[in-house]
Amino acid sequence: MSNQPKPSSNPVQNNPVPQAQRPTPQAVPKPPQQPTIIDKLFEELQKRIKVTTRKDAPNRGTIIVDRSQLVEVAKILKELGFDHVKTVTGMDYPDEEKLEVIYHVSSYEHPEYSKVIVALRTTVSYRDPVVPSLYSIWESVWTGERETYEMFGIRFEGHPDLRRLFLPDDFEGIYPLRKEYKLKKEGIFIDEQQAE
Amino acid sequence: MSILSLILFYLLYPSFFITVIFPGAIFALILLLLMIWFERKAAAFVQMRYGPLYASKRLGGALQLIADAIKYAISEIIIPNGVNPTLYALAPMLLITFAFIPIAVIPVSRIPISGSILSKYFLAFYDPDIKSGLYVGYFVPFNLLLALGLASSYSVFVLLTAWVTNNRFALIGAVREAFLSVSYDVLIVMSALALALEYHTLDIAKIVQSGIPGFIANPIAGVVFFIGVIMGTSRFPFEIVEADTEVVMGPYTEYTGLLYVITMGASYIGTYSFALLYSDLFLGGWAPFSGLPGAVWMTFKAVLVLAFSVFLRSVYGRYRIDQAIRGSWKYVLPAALASIILGLVVGWLWIR
Amino acid sequence: MSSRPSEITISAEGMEVEIIPVEGEINVGPQHPGSGHMRIYVKVNGDIIEDVDMDVGYVHRAVEKLSEIRTYMQIIPLVERPAILDSINMNLGYIMAVEKIMGVEVPERAQYLRSFAAEVNRIASHLYGTGILAIFLGHSTGYMWGFGDREVWVEILQALTGARLTNSYIIPGGVRRDLTPTIKEMTLKAIAYQRKRMAEWRRIFLNNPNIRDRLENVGVMSKENAIKWGAAGPNLRGSGVNYDVRKAEPYAAYDKLDFEVQVYKEGDGYARTLVRFGEIEQSLNMLEQIIKEIPEGPILADRFFKMIPPARVKKWWDGMRRVVFPGYFASFRPPKGEAITRVEASRGELVYYVVSDGSATPYRLRMITPSYRSIYVFKQLCKGSRYPDLVSIYGSLDYFPPEADR
Repeated sequence: MSNQPKPSSNPVQNNPVPQAQRPTPQAVPKPPQQPTIIDKLFEELQKRIKVTTRKDAPNRGTIIVDRSQLVEVAKILKELGFDHVKTVTGMDYPDEEKLEVIYHVSSYEHPEYSKVIVALRTTVSYRDPVVPSLYSIWESVWTGERETYEMFGIRFEGHPDLRRLFLPDDFEGIYPLRKEYKLKKEGIFIDEQQAE
Repeated sequence: MSILSLILFYLLYPSFFITVIFPGAIFALILLLLMIWFERKAAAFVQMRYGPLYASKRLGGALQLIADAIKYAISEIIIPNGVNPTLYALAPMLLITFAFIPIAVIPVSRIPISGSILSKYFLAFYDPDIKSGLYVGYFVPFNLLLALGLASSYSVFVLLTAWVTNNRFALIGAVREAFLSVSYDVLIVMSALALALEYHTLDIAKIVQSGIPGFIANPIAGVVFFIGVIMGTSRFPFEIVEADTEVVMGPYTEYTGLLYVITMGASYIGTYSFALLYSDLFLGGWAPFSGLPGAVWMTFKAVLVLAFSVFLRSVYGRYRIDQAIRGSWKYVLPAALASIILGLVVGWLWIR
Repeated sequence: MSSRPSEITISAEGMEVEIIPVEGEINVGPQHPGSGHMRIYVKVNGDIIEDVDMDVGYVHRAVEKLSEIRTYMQIIPLVERPAILDSINMNLGYIMAVEKIMGVEVPERAQYLRSFAAEVNRIASHLYGTGILAIFLGHSTGYMWGFGDREVWVEILQALTGARLTNSYIIPGGVRRDLTPTIKEMTLKAIAYQRKRMAEWRRIFLNNPNIRDRLENVGVMSKENAIKWGAAGPNLRGSGVNYDVRKAEPYAAYDKLDFEVQVYKEGDGYARTLVRFGEIEQSLNMLEQIIKEIPEGPILADRFFKMIPPARVKKWWDGMRRVVFPGYFASFRPPKGEAITRVEASRGELVYYVVSDGSATPYRLRMITPSYRSIYVFKQLCKGSRYPDLVSIYGSLDYFPPEADR
C-alpha cells in the first residue's frame, strides 16, 4: 500500500488519487496540542500491531492495512471497544486498477470511542478482488458487505450470505458503482415544432 | 275474502315476511349498507375526518355505499387459474345463505290473540310454552338450540371459501378460522346454556316472556356471549381471520367484484343474525310490545348491538391468533363456567 | 407444504405444547398490504417464522451512482428523496459533510434554525412511523391520528421552507429562510396542541391493552444483540444503549439545547414505541428552547453572503428574510478531501461519507441511512417470532423501504 506509484495526472479523469496518498485536507482544523482520543487510540494500537495510521481530525482517524492484516487489526479494534461498523464503503480507482474497501468503525458503549469514527482501509487489485469478511468480528457488516459485493464485485471471503442485495438476480457481471459504468445525462427535451 | 286481503295475508305470513322482508333479507341488505356507512362515519368521527361525504352531502354521504355497491356489482369477476369455477362461485353464496338462515328460527315478536294485524296467524304459530302466538319464520319448541346449530355451521363455509380458491393466504386464514371457531363456539354455546338453565327452557320466546332481560339475570353470560359473537364474526379486536396486513384478506383473498361483496356482506349478516339472537336472549327482545311494534323494537335493539360491535374498530387493533385462543380458553371459558353456575343459582332462587 | 412429526416443543407460560411442524414459505410482498415496497420471503413452521429473506431494492434510486454526475448543489434534492418525510435530516447530514470539506463556518442563528427544522421534522416523522405501526396492528385510529397530527408539523415546515416534504432547506453555509414571528406563533400553538394530543395518544394507543399485548415481548432485542447487529436510533435506545449522535457528537445547536436521551431497557416493540413518544416530547421541549434562545444574526456564512449582489440582498434578505443563491453555488468546486459526518435522523443515525477530488461533482458519496441498518436487524428479529408478529416487528422498527434502498 505504501509504495504505490503516483498515477499520471489526467485532468479529464479528475485525478482519482487514493486517499492514502493525499495530503491532509485543508478543511481539517489544526489539531489541538494535548493528545486527543484518536492519538491515544493510535498509540494503543501501535503497541499491539504495526500499521499505518493517519489522524484526519480530533475525532476522525484512518488506519491503512494490507488485506492480510485486516482481520487481525479488526480483532484488536474490537477488543479496544469498537463494537460496530457504521458503513462498508467501496471505492474504485480505475487508473491504478485498484479497489478499496473502507470500514468505518465506531462504538456505541465506550464513552470515549463513541465520539470517534475510525476508517479501516484496505486495497485490492482488479484481478483479485477478494477481501476477508469481517462478519465473524462485527455482524453489522452483513448488509454493507453484500452491497459492496454487488456494486463493486469485491468478494468477501467468509461472509455467510454473499448474494445480491438491491440489484435483481440477473444483474450479472456488471458492477454499477465502478467508474467504468458510465451514466448518461439526458438533455432537456424541446419540442421543435412548438419552438418554431 | 277479497284479493287484497289475500295478498296481505300471504305478505304478512311470518315464514315469508320475517325471512324475506323484515328483519330478513331485504331489511338486512339495506341495513348492511347503512351499517357500513355508520361504521365509516363513526370511525371518521373518532379519527378527526369526514368519512364518506361527497355522494349526497345532504345525507352525509350515505349514498356512497350505493355507489360502491354498484361499482362492485359491475366490476369484473376474475376466476383464478386451476380452481373449480362452480365451487368458486358457489362458496360465497353458501356462506351468505348460512349467515342468513338463523334469522328464520329466531322469534321476532309475540302474536296476541286479537287486536293485531297478525292475529290471524295466532293458531298456526301457537307456542304452548308462552301460551301465545309467536311471530317467527319457522316455529320449533327448541329454537335456541336450532339457532345456535345453524349459526355455527357458518364457519364451515368460510373454510370452503378458502379451500376452493387455492391461495396460500386464504389457507392460513382458513386455518385461523378453524382454530377460532372451536374457541368461540364453546363460549357461545356455554353462555346460551347458562341462560337455558336459568330460565328452565330451550325456547327463546319463553326467555323473553319471562319479563327479565337476560343481561340483568346473568350479566356474565351476556358479556361472554358478546365476546363469542365478535370473535365468531371477525369484528375488531378479533378481526384475525381477515387480518389484511398479515394474510391480505384471509379466506376471501382471491374474490373479486360481486363475489367479494358477498363474502364481505356475509360477515356483517352473520353479526346481524347473532345480534338478533342477542337482543332476544339478553336485552328483553320484543317485551313489552307485541305484534309488529314488538318486531321493530326487538330489531332496533339488535341494530344497536350490531352498531356497537362495528364501532369497536375505531378503538382496538387486532389480537394475534394465539392471544385470542389463549384468552378465550384461559380467561373467558372460566367466565363462561361461572355464568353457568350463576345461571343455576339465579334460576333456582329467582326465576321460576 | 409438507408435514412431518418432530420433537420441537415450545413452552407457553409453563405449558409444554408439542408442535407438529408444517413447513412452508409465504411470499409477503411486493404487492401485499403489510410489506411495503419490498418482498419478504418468509419460511414458516406452523405459525413460527424460521427465517426471513429480505428482498429489498424495489425502490432503489441509485443515489450513490447519480451523485457522480450531479454537482454538489444538485445532490441536495437527490439525497432527500429516499426519505421525503425526513428530508431535513437527510439534507443536514450531507451539507455538514460538504461544509467540512470546504471549511465553512456556519453562523449561530443558522445552527439554531437547522436544529429547529430537524426537530419539527423528527416529530412529523415519528408520528408517521406510529401511524404505520398502528395500521399494521389493525388500529385504524392510530393511523389516522398519526397522519392527521403530522399535518400540523408539515404546515410549519411549509411556512418555514416553502415546501411540504422536499424542503431543500439547508444549504452550504446556512439555511435558506429565516424564522419569522408568524412561524414562531404557529409553532407555539402547535406545541400546545401536540402536548394535549399526547395525553390522548397515550389513552387510545399506548395504554390500549390490545396494543400492549401486540407489542410487549415481541421482537425482543437484547442490548448485546442491538450492538452486534448495528441497530440505530430509537431501536438501539429501546434496547438500553444510551447512544444519541446529538449527545455523542453534537452538531447544529444541540450542544446548547437541553434534552434527555430516551432509553428503555426492555428491547421489545413497546419499548421502541415508547422511545419514539418520548422523543416527540423532548423535541417539543427543544423547540420551545430554540424559540426562546435563538440569537439574532445572519443565516448564511459571510463568505457566501458577500457573493450575493447587493440589489438582491436588499430585495430578498432585507425585505423577505430569505437568501438567494450566489452564482458561486451553481458549480462550485470544493478542495480535495473527504469527510464523514453523522447526524441523528428520525429513524436513527445517518452517516454520509463524501470524497471530493476537486471537481464539481463528488468522487464518491456514501449514504448510510438508519433503515439500511435495520435490514439486518429486521431479519434477525423475525427469527423465532410468530407470523402475525412480522408486521408488528416491521412497524416497531419503523423500517422505511425507500430509505433503506436509497
